[in-house]
Amino acid sequence: MANKHSRLAAYLAHRSRRGTTWLRMRDIMRVSIREVLRKRRRYIGVIAAIALGTAGFITIVTMGRDLKTNFNNDLDMLGGATIINPYFEQDGAERLEWFRDRTLTSLARIPGVMEVSSVLTKPRAITTFQDRIFGFNLVGVDAAYWRVFSFNAAAGRLFDDTDVAEGARVCVVGTLLARTIFGGDQEALGQILSIDDNLYQVVGVLGGVRAGDRGQFIFLPYTTARARVVDISQPYSVYIRCATWDDVAPVAAAVKNVVEANQIAKGLRVNVAWEPLKQVQRIFWWVSLFIYSSIVATLILGGLGIWNIMMAAVVSRTREIGLKKAMGALDNDIFFQFLFESLCVTMTASLLGIGLGRVGVEYMSHMLGSRPPEGLFLVCLLSGLLFAVVIGVGAGMYPSIRASRMQVVEAMRYE
Amino acid sequence: MNSATRNGGQGDLVIEISDLTKNYQNGDETIRVLKSVNLHVRRGEMVAVMGPSGSGKSTLLFVLGLFLPPSSGSYLVSGRDVLSLTRDEQAIFRREMMGFVFQSCDLLENSTVYENLELPLVYAGVKRRERPDRIRDALSRVNLEHRIHQPSNRLSGGERQRVSIARALVNEPEFILADEPTGQLDRENSLRVLDYFNKITEGSNMAMVVVTHDTTTAEHCNRTCVLTDGVLNG
Repeated sequence: MANKHSRLAAYLAHRSRRGTTWLRMRDIMRVSIREVLRKRRRYIGVIAAIALGTAGFITIVTMGRDLKTNFNNDLDMLGGATIINPYFEQDGAERLEWFRDRTLTSLARIPGVMEVSSVLTKPRAITTFQDRIFGFNLVGVDAAYWRVFSFNAAAGRLFDDTDVAEGARVCVVGTLLARTIFGGDQEALGQILSIDDNLYQVVGVLGGVRAGDRGQFIFLPYTTARARVVDISQPYSVYIRCATWDDVAPVAAAVKNVVEANQIAKGLRVNVAWEPLKQVQRIFWWVSLFIYSSIVATLILGGLGIWNIMMAAVVSRTREIGLKKAMGALDNDIFFQFLFESLCVTMTASLLGIGLGRVGVEYMSHMLGSRPPEGLFLVCLLSGLLFAVVIGVGAGMYPSIRASRMQVVEAMRYE
Repeated sequence: MNSATRNGGQGDLVIEISDLTKNYQNGDETIRVLKSVNLHVRRGEMVAVMGPSGSGKSTLLFVLGLFLPPSSGSYLVSGRDVLSLTRDEQAIFRREMMGFVFQSCDLLENSTVYENLELPLVYAGVKRRERPDRIRDALSRVNLEHRIHQPSNRLSGGERQRVSIARALVNEPEFILADEPTGQLDRENSLRVLDYFNKITEGSNMAMVVVTHDTTTAEHCNRTCVLTDGVLNG
């Protein structure tokens, strides 16, 4: 007993026993986890809210750029908002300059540029088929052209990089022309067209939302057109497809400098569809605002839910708090027990949210046909955990302080 | 029962209360709940405090447990003034020096017997590997070792009170305060609990103050003090 008294005296004299404090904290953490596990039904609602909010945040932020690009593709087919068209203006009947190969290579390297396609043209070209003569616009393009305008094949296929590299004698015809000359899309496939004394096999019919504008066009591989078509133009015009609409302004601003750095830029004009771009940005801004507001609202509701549950827990467990204090719990012991409980709930919700977020990211990647940026996912994961700590401490702080400051007698007499 | 300790004439003083008063303020009126109370309890002694309802028994017990500060007077435990302790020091005092047994057999909900007894050890910073032995030891003193992993809500009233006693003992305190410990028990369980109290005080030189209405409980104690209108006699 004397030893016992000296133990108390020693403790009171040297109160900073760090080892013991840590041991107690670890045990209190264990007790808190046990409490949450045993009363898990009480926390299901808020855990679900925070988990969904975190999952939404992770999915949207991680896949935001890919989503924007995809959304951009869809909207772009309607208005071409992310396509920039630099061209050299004609001086009277004569064009002064055209885009050199090194310029095209440099343009493709501008950050935010997804595709660059230069175009050779020969208006008012003619072809004969079964002794009939047809007029059309001849265009020499590379395979990037299809990607710039999101074209696809209404029938057959569009020529690819191999065809361009080999200078293949193949062509893609516009829908209107296919019907006029051959009587239909399928009928056009495999037919041979004579253009400037060269024969070209029709491998596909142009399709896509904006294919109607090019119904009277025949497309040859860029290299083929350059080598075989008489009077074909130089590449006076280039189409640049930006990754997202956010890239349009900086890319448009950089184009002139890049061209000037590689060649004479006299007569250069840069055409951007600013009005559709603004409309697209406005729509996406509202959509983003709605999505992020929903996520923030979900997380705030989760936080308020935890605060509410912890407050209710403090009231319903008043006698328990009094009992623990009567057993010798310090104010800090009670404070940390409730704070750990709050943290335990938010961390569980966050981990669940991260798991769901990963599933969401994988699903969206699958749908968009891309790979998720792992670095960004990791940042989101850490942000989710940090947020869980912030919301856990924020929502649990006041109830924990209230619990810790409770008077033993009042707590023990509480009914 | 050991006659030497029953007489209360041997051993050191554990609790020394002198001229202790406790007043409550009700508007302009001062209510004097405890009036110049003197109480000395020695090691191995079990003292009953009896009195009618409203006589100040619970207030005295709360003052002894440092749950309520007295208005004046002195309170020494093993010769040390405990009224000057800070709030945290009071908590340390409770876990190191005293055990508390409540009338309502307050056990933690949704917890096992082991978890109920572990908590005071957690607060005292006892190492995890030492706890099972100490818990078994405390339970063996109330013959409840076999219930160690039983959920507390599946125990009978008598068993709950015995667990409550074991919990008070687990930190090997200097004294135990018991508030109507047999108040909610039938006669058979009451006698069993009182027997355990006697064995504990005799075997460990621990002091005990029991607040009760029950004369049977008082008969099991070494000494009975009667509190009437805040004045303690005996």
